[in-house]
Amino acid sequence: MEESEDLPKDFIKLKSEKLSADEVSELVISPCCGAVSLFIGTTRNNFEGKKVIHLEYEAYTSMAETEIKKICRDIRQKWPSVKHIAVHHRLGVVPITEASVIIAVSSPHRAESLEAVTYCINTLKASVPIWKKEIYEDEYSWKENKECFWANSEK
Amino acid sequence: QVSVMYFARSAELAGLRCETLSVPREITSLQLWEEIVKVHPRLAVIRDQVVFAVRQEYVLLGDQLLVLQPGDEVAIIPPISGG
Repeated sequence: MEESEDLPKDFIKLKSEKLSADEVSELVISPCCGAVSLFIGTTRNNFEGKKVIHLEYEAYTSMAETEIKKICRDIRQKWPSVKHIAVHHRLGVVPITEASVIIAVSSPHRAESLEAVTYCINTLKASVPIWKKEIYEDEYSWKENKECFWANSEK
Repeated sequence: QVSVMYFARSAELAGLRCETLSVPREITSLQLWEEIVKVHPRLAVIRDQVVFAVRQEYVLLGDQLLVLQPGDEVAIIPPISGG
């Protein structure tokens, strides 16, 4: 009995090298699964009319990994048929159009993995201690996700 | 003595990423903030936007009583922007 292939796994990585969608989706492929759903977050070149030169990400790494593990646990409670989950987030400088986050989820049928990927990125934006700095031509700005429950929206 | 970690804007305002501070073992989260602002007054401007992470659990600034152990990690958490 090939037990190592049957056990659901979470693959969580924070790294400064370029992310690969092929690598992340291959992590979650499983013989029992007919669906792999993928989300890729890429960097836009503009914000409110300003040209974005690049993004810089930093993280409270140990807590970020713990929070992502909690999200994976929640996903498995909500969608028990989900098999493997992979979350790769890039840290440091991310040039325009490159991926800053890639999430892949596998499940026997497509509904669960599609829903789980959506839940994963939405919850990541609300709870994982990672910060993004947008570098413009003349200035920079620390971004704030609207999902962040403690951000003061009245400034 | 706790390990205080600064991130993003709070690291820029404090001018450092990590330091050891001596604080009372039992202290509310708001009092802890005030202790930190005494050392780094420039942090006062972000008071309404930050939370703490104490032993990697989020804590709002307020009346919540913290029981700290020597070496505990306390992080200043500005509004996040992952993903």
